[in-house]
Amino acid sequence: MTELSVRVTDLHIEFEVFSDRRAGLRQRLATQEGSGRRVIEAVNGVSFETRRGEAIGVIGSNGSGKSTLLSALAGLIKPTSGEILVSCEPKLLGVGAVLLNGATGIRNIRLGCLALGMSSEELDSKVAEIVEFTGLGEAIDRPLKTYSAGMRARLHFAISTAVQPEILLVDEALSVGDKEFRKRSRAKIESLLANAGTLFLVSHSTNEIERLCTRGLWLEKGKLLADGPIGDVVAEYGADT
Amino acid sequence: MTVHDDSHPESDDQDQGLFSLDTSVSSRAYVAEIWKRRDFALSLPIEELQSSHKDTLFGNIWHLGNPLLTAGVYYLVFGKFLEVSRGIDNFVVWLIIGVFTYQLTSGTILGGASSIASRQGLMRSFRFPRAIVPISNMIGELLAFAFQFLVIVIFAFATGVGPSRRWFLLPVILLIHTAFNLGGSFIAARLNDGFRDIQQLIPFVLRLAMYASGVMFPLDRIIGRNDLVDWLVRLNPIASLINFYRWMILGTELNVATSALTVVESLLILWFGFRFFKVAEYKYGQP
Repeated sequence: MTELSVRVTDLHIEFEVFSDRRAGLRQRLATQEGSGRRVIEAVNGVSFETRRGEAIGVIGSNGSGKSTLLSALAGLIKPTSGEILVSCEPKLLGVGAVLLNGATGIRNIRLGCLALGMSSEELDSKVAEIVEFTGLGEAIDRPLKTYSAGMRARLHFAISTAVQPEILLVDEALSVGDKEFRKRSRAKIESLLANAGTLFLVSHSTNEIERLCTRGLWLEKGKLLADGPIGDVVAEYGADT
Repeated sequence: MTVHDDSHPESDDQDQGLFSLDTSVSSRAYVAEIWKRRDFALSLPIEELQSSHKDTLFGNIWHLGNPLLTAGVYYLVFGKFLEVSRGIDNFVVWLIIGVFTYQLTSGTILGGASSIASRQGLMRSFRFPRAIVPISNMIGELLAFAFQFLVIVIFAFATGVGPSRRWFLLPVILLIHTAFNLGGSFIAARLNDGFRDIQQLIPFVLRLAMYASGVMFPLDRIIGRNDLVDWLVRLNPIASLINFYRWMILGTELNVATSALTVVESLLILWFGFRFFKVAEYKYGQP
């Protein structure tokens, strides 16, 4: 039996949100009601274990808690209750990743790698390789604000995988890239899995998930509806929608 | 001797090598994490400094041009037109020391508060000790102050003030001043993360503190009228911090007891601010 990489036990994540119509200040001070605060259960009692070398596809409709689950696995969101244990700090790759918009691509690579805890010396020896991997060419010297969503995804993917992570969480970040980038990123992910890494992939493309993943998790309204071989889970999901 | 982990008596997590990212770390480990990312804390403000004047014709010259013009305006208005001295020798240099050093404090505290809101994207994308956010803001303010300090030196020399041995104490003064500023910045950041209304209030608090710190006029103007005000002004470390610089450059009086109190206050504020900020570490950048 291979070693565990992630163990999630009865995970709950609640958000307090403001609805757009808020009551007046006087009313809010007088009564606790009408403050516009509501509690949303984004993840509601999810448990699972994953092992090294597994590739897990997370499927479910919009707002089912997939991205929240990945953020929590990455340690960016604190669970309301329950426990997440990991074998190594996971790296999250999302489309919304923000760096410095005014700075050039190459400077953003440096900043991103430093933010992830790379040392300056380590970075100097790696930066050429990262730039090469992005395949952005001379656009690497343009400010980030001139980049398209796909170009940003390339940049962020290159930063996040610069040091091969043991656990990689990918949130829709591959689908915005072009064919060339998808080929490169798939090669990188396959090498990660071959080296006993663990992949979590959130995507709306069940094709992509079936191609890359061996196991599926189906989330709906924060609850885990199915967990099993990817073919079965996708079929179940397809039958439901 | 083995330590039994009571929290998971039945699990074999120790053997599997699994750990939680959710546990709060000790202050020592937290500081070590910050130190590990010192290059990040440093390059973030440098990056912004370099791109801040990119859309202007003169570009980076503005980093020096801005404080030079500010001091120039004070020189014209107070030194030439009004010929105000308020009983102080070299009032213009006395004034710009006050304005620029106070700006370092107010900029660091206000920037600390707003940075916790403006860096949300970065915090949601990468996992790093959140204290990096106010710290890198503080570094940015110090870099801006370097240019302002240069302007102070230029005006001091131009008005016949020479260097003295007191100048060797500049690093110590800056260290104490920075301890106070960073502590205040941590407190403002945590408060502003809980209540965004704070960011609107801070400028007014800072304006009030400016009048109680002897930035534009000597403190003896407001002392001796009201016991409470006297007491607050005497305890105010900012007034004393500003006076360190005036003592260093212009040789104004320095009260040893007040100065010692200021050092203690600044270190206490840093210590308290750091703890206060760290307690809510996981909350910063949450949706």
